[in-house]
Amino acid sequence: MLNKALGASLSLKQRLFLWLLMPLLLAVPAGSFALYTLIRNTTVAWLDQGLGDTALALSNFIRTHDGELIVEISGQTDGALRFDRVDRVYYMVLAPQGQRLAGDMMLGEPHVTVTAGEWDFRDVELDGQTLRLSTLGVACGVVGNVCQIRVAETTTKRTSLRRDLLVAVGVTMLLLSTGLVLAGWLAIHQGLRPLGELSTEVERRDLDRLDPLEQPVPNEVRPLIAALNRLFERLRAATGAQQDFLANAAHQLRTPLTSLRTEIELALLEPHDDTLEPLLQRLKNSVDRSARLAQQMLSMARSDATPPHEGQRVLDLRDLAAIAAEDWVPRALDAGIDLGFELESAPVMARSFLLRELLENLIHNAVNYAGEGARITVRVGVRDGRAMLEVEDTGPGIPPEDRGRVLQRFQRGPEAKGSGSGLGLAIAQDIAISHGGTLTLGEGAHGQGLRVRLTLPLAAPSAPVASAPAPLPPAC
Amino acid sequence: MRILLVEDDATLAESTTRALRSQGWVVDCTARGEPVPLSLREDRYDLLILDIGLAGIDGFETLRRVRSQGSPIPVLILTARDGVEDRVRGLEIGADDYLVKPFALSELIARARALVRRSQARFSNELKMASLRMDLDARRAWLGEEPLSLSAREWEVLSFMMARIGKVIAKEQIVSASNGWDQSTTDNAVEVCISRLRAKLEPAGIQIRTVRGFGYLLEEQAPAVKT
Repeated sequence: MLNKALGASLSLKQRLFLWLLMPLLLAVPAGSFALYTLIRNTTVAWLDQGLGDTALALSNFIRTHDGELIVEISGQTDGALRFDRVDRVYYMVLAPQGQRLAGDMMLGEPHVTVTAGEWDFRDVELDGQTLRLSTLGVACGVVGNVCQIRVAETTTKRTSLRRDLLVAVGVTMLLLSTGLVLAGWLAIHQGLRPLGELSTEVERRDLDRLDPLEQPVPNEVRPLIAALNRLFERLRAATGAQQDFLANAAHQLRTPLTSLRTEIELALLEPHDDTLEPLLQRLKNSVDRSARLAQQMLSMARSDATPPHEGQRVLDLRDLAAIAAEDWVPRALDAGIDLGFELESAPVMARSFLLRELLENLIHNAVNYAGEGARITVRVGVRDGRAMLEVEDTGPGIPPEDRGRVLQRFQRGPEAKGSGSGLGLAIAQDIAISHGGTLTLGEGAHGQGLRVRLTLPLAAPSAPVASAPAPLPPAC
Repeated sequence: MRILLVEDDATLAESTTRALRSQGWVVDCTARGEPVPLSLREDRYDLLILDIGLAGIDGFETLRRVRSQGSPIPVLILTARDGVEDRVRGLEIGADDYLVKPFALSELIARARALVRRSQARFSNELKMASLRMDLDARRAWLGEEPLSLSAREWEVLSFMMARIGKVIAKEQIVSASNGWDQSTTDNAVEVCISRLRAKLEPAGIQIRTVRGFGYLLEEQAPAVKT
């Protein structure tokens, strides 16, 4: 019940602590009480024994003279009997019939019956003060007669003793329980620390990082670690299989898409009905779009499959743009677009295939959306201490309110046409972020068109940079 | 012109063949790489178009065998892989150019034509484009039947560009390929030289297009295939 009620809301630490605290709450008062009672009873017995000793001493003073019981106590003896450093001591000797033989009259009042040799101890109220009274029965005179010897003392000593005892037991128990609570908390904290470390370590795992947990842990946690590691293994296999599938599917799509594209282009070249022309063009655009999508899926699968910092090396964004120039200028010219460059050196740490994909996406978007007659400028350089690459076009642009949306996967601008998959900018942004960079959309020059700007941390100046002014096409 | 196409996807092989034939070229097609070296020994081909992903021995291995028997045939690789590593590997073992699927038909035809042109130039030491003809041995050029007079610098630049028809050429490449140009005068000198070449070549239908901020592109005014 308690377990269930608490289990949901309390941490393991709190639960352990609670279970430790509850017995402590019962045991400490019970123990204190027992200890207090034990010590008090012992001291009371000791003090009572003192009173009894006085009574026994008095019994020696009872004598029989001419058949009459008498008690003779000198003033010196009386002083000795009554001596106590703290309390006042009273005594009285009573004849069997109850008349006073010696001592203080006031002690005759309480009615106590004792047989010969019997003791009686009790607390009494006399003359407005509390007294501890001991009564001893003593055979005297005729056989069968019992005299009573009563000795009493005030309770100052007893009261202060009890108070001291209470304080001593209380303080001891308080210290003890505080110590126990602290030790318990510390023990729980220390005992659970491997769990804390474990959870931090598990927290660090994600789909990119599924290596087994290997830190030393207590025996009890080992099965959990083993189970987690098996889970990681399965997850890794599953994501690996998913990425493989994605890459493979995207890869396999290319050959049929090429074939389809070639057929369409052939149909466009060969004599055909003029009314078919728009249809064939639309078909070609769709194929291009599918091909682009397959390429992007492949890139995504590959970028997801490798950890962010693996395979990074220093490369110059200018070289990257130069490669893009070779690929894109002929296509841009065919599409009636002026594709130009403003390139300066900008070394960065990156994985080249990802940045190529990023730039490919930006130029592809610009060429597709800017339309015939547009001017596209690819700019590379260093701005404000960061490497910068931007692609600016004079096309229709993207309104500020839509810019956030087009950075999400599978979202296209509302006016979008052409062969976009809706993945391009999202992939570009993913790549930028994974390289510690940013991707921002803004207006082109004179508030017209779209400017997509990538900024990346500059590579350390000491790092070696391939300083060829432009890469020579390997085919030449 | 005779082309050997090695492609194991039947549909793509069929459409590529038709596309190449539309240019008036003779095309033989095979789906496997193993018989390729023998075919090249027995028949005279001008170009080998080779798919990398083949059943049996792959395109790389086929190419290696072709080169190891000493065949100088120009080779254009087709691949569904776009990794830089594949590209480098293909070029290292002797491919001349490289196309990633899916490619545009116009691009395939342009690359095929450029490769053949280059290889023919190697044999005849002659570069040709439209009505322009450059005799590399004699260092003389003609537009049709008319001799074309070129300065030494113009000759260097034009012959460099003629080997890269249809490709973007960076200004820096032109500079580093030309003797006697120092870095300080380059940009201006290249521009002056190009504008002179333009004036001489444009009447013959040869265009040198400027790639803003980057370099130039040499092409025929009317592309062979419109897409």
